[in-house]
Amino acid sequence: MSSSLRITCGAEPTRGSGTSPEIVANFFESLIYPFGFFHPTAGLLGELNLSRGVNSLLSPSQHLEFESVQQLAQTISDLDSISVALRHMDSEEFAIWCGLGKSNARTHLLQLIEEMQQARIRVKGAQLQLDFMHNQPSARSLLRSLTQLALVGVVCESRQLQKAWLTSTHQPLSKKWISKFESIKVFSGGGVLLEEESLRFVFRVKWKGVGDCEPAIGLFRNQLVIDVGGVRSFVELPAACSRMEPGNVRLSKNKFEIDLAVKESEWPRS
Amino acid sequence: MSDENNDKKSSSDLGSWLNSMGAPESVTELMPSDITGLDIAPILSMLGRVGIKSGVRGAQSGDATADEIRWLPIVRV
Repeated sequence: MSSSLRITCGAEPTRGSGTSPEIVANFFESLIYPFGFFHPTAGLLGELNLSRGVNSLLSPSQHLEFESVQQLAQTISDLDSISVALRHMDSEEFAIWCGLGKSNARTHLLQLIEEMQQARIRVKGAQLQLDFMHNQPSARSLLRSLTQLALVGVVCESRQLQKAWLTSTHQPLSKKWISKFESIKVFSGGGVLLEEESLRFVFRVKWKGVGDCEPAIGLFRNQLVIDVGGVRSFVELPAACSRMEPGNVRLSKNKFEIDLAVKESEWPRS
Repeated sequence: MSDENNDKKSSSDLGSWLNSMGAPESVTELMPSDITGLDIAPILSMLGRVGIKSGVRGAQSGDATADEIRWLPIVRV
């Protein structure tokens, strides 16, 4: 998908004002308004970690700068984490808390979720540029950062990487490392539920790059969480998984599988 | 209800939370008690445990709840 957004990683960032995007402020204002407290607090916005760069991703700016590839990956992960939290807020707890129909809170919530989805589309299609002039990473740490970036769905072209490396080190990247970098494939964010035997299933996720990192894998409500060094990707699980008991994760070079056993007590008897 | 239970309840109600976020007590005193007494633990739990704090994995120890990530054992094959 094309995008007019250009992102530079590795350059010293241009610090923003630190203020929240208007839509975020409106959301919290309307959320708290029914209780007579009008202004979003710095504490709450701080908890949401917006100052680390999520603000930038939500802004309409055509050029964003991040200190490093890792920081970009972390910021996208933060954006996704907040999106997951907000989508869960659009639930019964949210209805109980705010009282649907009594305020514009849900309208702003949905606007904010939409805004985040649009930001995600822009980032995925962005033109990524690397600049190692101020901060020269090692090839090994860069491999990890680019794996994290691939986990959150953003690709870095090999040609761009080689050019940035040559400019900063005045030496070409070795064939060994080029091969390693090119083996990283962007995570598609999907998986498939397969029946292995009666009452036993696996949820299989394919991702080239998983074999070269140490992911943590977990479940949160209806979401599968894949975490590499704090950078997280979320995969929505099929509804049936909520009535299954997870077991081990079997991790191999290009995929992992989660064992799932049907909890008979959770299913209606025929 | 024991004192311990009272303390636990009051720490997650809306009034206490607004005060902890910097709202003056004069504001919360103007609000009806049935609103300031609302239990907002589910919302705070979601905001605090879904990975919003960067890089925090399993920040909460103890028994997992529906609003915590349940990390699974990994076996390399």
